[in-house]
Amino acid sequence: MLVSIFRGKFAFVLKVITLLILSSLLVMLAQQAFASGEYAIAIFLAVSTLALNFVYLTKRSVPLKFFLPGLLFLLAFVVGPILYTLAMSGFTYQTGNTLSKPEAIAQIQKLSVSQDENQTIFDVTVGKNGSDELSLIYLDSLTNEYAISTEKKRTVEPESTVVKDEFDIPSSSPNFRALTEDELGALDAQIPELKFYYNDEYYLALEGFQAASLYKKSLQFNEASDEFKSPVNNDIYRDNGRGNYANVSNPEDILQPGWRAPIWFENYTKLFSEERLRTPFIKVFLWTISFAGLSVLTTFALGLLLALALNKAIRGRRIYRSILILPYAMPSVMSILIWGGMFDTDFGAINNLFGTDIAWFQNAAFARTAVIVVNLWLGFPYFYLVASGALQAIPAELSEAAAIDGASPRQIFSRITLPLLLKILSPLLIASFAFNFNNFNLIYLLTGGGPIAQLDGEIAGSTDILISYTYKIAFDQGNSNLGLASAISVLIFLLVASMSMYGLKKSKVLDDFV
Amino acid sequence: MTNNLWRHAVAIAIVLFSLFPLYLVIISSFNPSGSLKFTSFLPGEISLVNYSLLFTDPRIPYLTWMKNSLIVAAAVAVLSVTIGAASAFAFSRLRFKGKVSGLKLLLLVQMFPAILAISAVYVIMERVQSFAPGLGLGTRPGLLLVYLGGAMGVNIWLLKGFVDSIPAELDEAAKVDGASPMQIYWLIFIPLATPVLAVVALLSFIGTFNEFILARLFLVDMADRTIAVGLQSFIGGQYSQNWGPFAAGSIIASVPIVAIFLSLQKYIINGLTAGSVKG
Repeated sequence: MLVSIFRGKFAFVLKVITLLILSSLLVMLAQQAFASGEYAIAIFLAVSTLALNFVYLTKRSVPLKFFLPGLLFLLAFVVGPILYTLAMSGFTYQTGNTLSKPEAIAQIQKLSVSQDENQTIFDVTVGKNGSDELSLIYLDSLTNEYAISTEKKRTVEPESTVVKDEFDIPSSSPNFRALTEDELGALDAQIPELKFYYNDEYYLALEGFQAASLYKKSLQFNEASDEFKSPVNNDIYRDNGRGNYANVSNPEDILQPGWRAPIWFENYTKLFSEERLRTPFIKVFLWTISFAGLSVLTTFALGLLLALALNKAIRGRRIYRSILILPYAMPSVMSILIWGGMFDTDFGAINNLFGTDIAWFQNAAFARTAVIVVNLWLGFPYFYLVASGALQAIPAELSEAAAIDGASPRQIFSRITLPLLLKILSPLLIASFAFNFNNFNLIYLLTGGGPIAQLDGEIAGSTDILISYTYKIAFDQGNSNLGLASAISVLIFLLVASMSMYGLKKSKVLDDFV
Repeated sequence: MTNNLWRHAVAIAIVLFSLFPLYLVIISSFNPSGSLKFTSFLPGEISLVNYSLLFTDPRIPYLTWMKNSLIVAAAVAVLSVTIGAASAFAFSRLRFKGKVSGLKLLLLVQMFPAILAISAVYVIMERVQSFAPGLGLGTRPGLLLVYLGGAMGVNIWLLKGFVDSIPAELDEAAKVDGASPMQIYWLIFIPLATPVLAVVALLSFIGTFNEFILARLFLVDMADRTIAVGLQSFIGGQYSQNWGPFAAGSIIASVPIVAIFLSLQKYIINGLTAGSVKG
């Protein structure tokens, strides 16, 4: 009976309908992506659609029928972002350089204007001229003549032909008819975009429908030579190869915004060559290593001590055990936030308990201590559990034989049990190191990386680890640098991946399928 | 007996360390003053005012946050296991070209700390937002997609391990009888693996429930937030002011997770030695 659900006409129709719906959704998305210039995403969606239809409508590959959906998700949200991180690390991708070059040029043109010095405003009427182009009619108070401006040109109207309304504002002429209320309403949304020609240096922009201000174009773009020129002082701005137009005579003077320009390995090299980046980077790197190392060491030591203590069926062992894994069972986000309260300076339980008055998160050494203590609390149950398991796995004969040979319990532990344990647990120790190396939540939620030395623009704090530092660089309000952040991410990945591969080799997981 | 004294001493000392913050947070959640100020280890006046604040104070849309978390975590758990189980089955039971390199790639991918690519995910979803406003940054479906992608590597890997441990005799017998891989999957594998799938789904649920930073980056609106992001923004470093309701809220949010965890202890501890570290 069940079989018929997965076979036969019914199943086929169901499959085709599902595919059809999914395909049309994906194709629609691909079209929208293509239309807004996201070609990579569009291509990915299109190829996915083709692959889905091919795999599920033909019998070419049975395994793909099983893992294609999983594969597509992995490609889209894991492999894709990894590659994108790699790509971003080769670009000037930061606040001020987030657009593509054509977008940046359009922005510069739009922004390189200023209201004229006298803030001239004309009373205008919006309408259409004789050739049905959108135009303004106004009394030009600078030249004292009546004029009609369209987007491209300005023509003078003889005063005698201009009709004025009750407020003495020109409203129509033989070459101009005002727009009706309805027509104006339809135009409302476009107001900020509209520009009307005044002369080569100035243009008019609407302030509502009854007034227009005079604006000055301070830069002109020359597409052929790819440069901006200032009509005021004849400065020339050229592409500096780093994502900005820079003044030819003064490279420091650049136009905003810039764009994402390829700079290859510069984000990597400047981490080491630029003093203002190198100092915090090395400081943070060293603390990351110490933090991860100390975390593994303390959690392992405490976990092992517990495992040894409870390695015998003493009374109450079950109760101890179920309490001891509570820190591990708690959602860590909640635990970290709770610990934040414990370390509060004025009201926190820790200062109260010890009768101290320490500002835990204002002082580098105290903040680091707090981070390690909290991580010890979060992490020791893990090593208690795995060390208990490992202790069971060590044959009792070994220590018994040693005892017969006259070894003291201490000797048995340091010469036999501990070396064996370390051998068994070394892959887990490495994995734990790698995990703590990127333990973002702990740092972010407990100290936010602080305290930060009150230096100008310094964002690296005393408890910042590489990943939280990277996050700050990437998402710092007003000064984000995704290119640099990506470069650090790639470096972290290389480090962590090689550690993990080493750990896996030790644990012989790879042997299963090599 | 004296021989065991040091064992009890160690265990009790560490039990106290374990319980210290939990005990205090529970006490203060019942303290009507709602203050972080710690006066005594003994509970004083007991009241539920902090708990009732969670459901009445408009500054803490607690139920909405909880609902958001439960929906997202449940959706990720169900969908990621549904998709992951099929992939795991293929990697465990089917033979195909490139399987070994596929497995190696999977191993590498599931080790990759998702947080490293977070800015790339952010930028990509920002772009998706520009052409598909319902799926990109700031939307729950977008967050769900990102979670699913992130859960896929670990879940396929974990599930493959479990699938490997299910004896292959049954499906081999079925194959001899002429069953297709699809039939083996649906009629033999899925019924056998259901308990295992449930365990992985629950683990996935815990993981998603506890996820913080993606949820924070993605969900800006107060009403969209998950419980982790909501409580973090509520307490926001202002421990002294909002402690009471926060304590109550964090306890309610933790209880179901701790319960799931304890009931799955056996599986989690087996999984521990396979090298996965809970976040």
